[in-house]
Amino acid sequence: MELVSGLIALGAAFAVGIAAVGAGVGQGIASGKAFESIARQPEVSGTIRTLLFIALAFMETLTIYGLLIAFILVGKIG
Amino acid sequence: MSAAAQEGGGIHHGPADPLFDITIPGTDFHLPIYNFVITSWVIMFILVFTAWLATRNMHRMPKGIQNVWEYIVDGLFSFFGGIMGEDRARKYGPFLGTCFLYILLSNYSGVLPGAAMIKGFVPPTNNVSITAGLAVLVFLSVFYFGIKAKGISFFKHFFQPMAFLFILNVIEELVRPVSLSLRLYGNVYGEETIVAQLGEMVPLLVPVPMMVLGLLTGAIQALVFTLLASTYIAGATEEHH
Repeated sequence: MELVSGLIALGAAFAVGIAAVGAGVGQGIASGKAFESIARQPEVSGTIRTLLFIALAFMETLTIYGLLIAFILVGKIG
Repeated sequence: MSAAAQEGGGIHHGPADPLFDITIPGTDFHLPIYNFVITSWVIMFILVFTAWLATRNMHRMPKGIQNVWEYIVDGLFSFFGGIMGEDRARKYGPFLGTCFLYILLSNYSGVLPGAAMIKGFVPPTNNVSITAGLAVLVFLSVFYFGIKAKGISFFKHFFQPMAFLFILNVIEELVRPVSLSLRLYGNVYGEETIVAQLGEMVPLLVPVPMMVLGLLTGAIQALVFTLLASTYIAGATEEHH
């Protein structure tokens, strides 16, 4: 039974960990491009910032799904 | 193992025991009042009371608290105006702005000294029930504002761009409250847990950088929540030409 609990805990950790890697890389690329475009055209920085936040929120959603799965798994540990 | 780590198992539903119970004698009815409900009430009271103070005796030349509130409302309306246009921002701004201020004050109530240690003082957004409630409110308001603005043709967008995408569109609509609530809850809860764990190991000074980061996260998450809510509402009410 302890082995099963340990495996579930590992699965929960991997669920959120691997999801965070992808979202982190994606958010980094998006933010970097946004900063580049602001540096090139500072007068549209307001619009770019709003769009950036929306895009980041959507990318973060994928990590949130991983977190949801992790919560469900942790709840299954006896 | 520390107490905070043990508490972290499973979905954190806040402190297990309610602060007090409202019961009606002679019946089975009882309504447990939890810590975060009290904080939520205090935040609501602060918002309503200061708004009442500011609008009680309005002057053409604002001064004092009226000035502060005009600054906040003006900033929020121009922010929403950038997303959905000036006239729609005036229509939907009050709802979205209230969400923003409530979430912001909730997140920031976690950095006050003694938060989560004193009874009856826990940041409300640290609890999945409160964020889920806010997300359901946004979900319903999208339908309400959409039907009010466009009538029955609001439901047309479920069949666009093609009719067989109906199921996907419905799933997308239903996933929104889940992601909205879990994003806010996950960020605030994660930050609070890290501060609690660090505070357990080294009570002095070490948690401070994380708390400063928490100030940033709190503001950004409040902004992201209202930004997404306003794009949802803007998408539901926009006129096609």
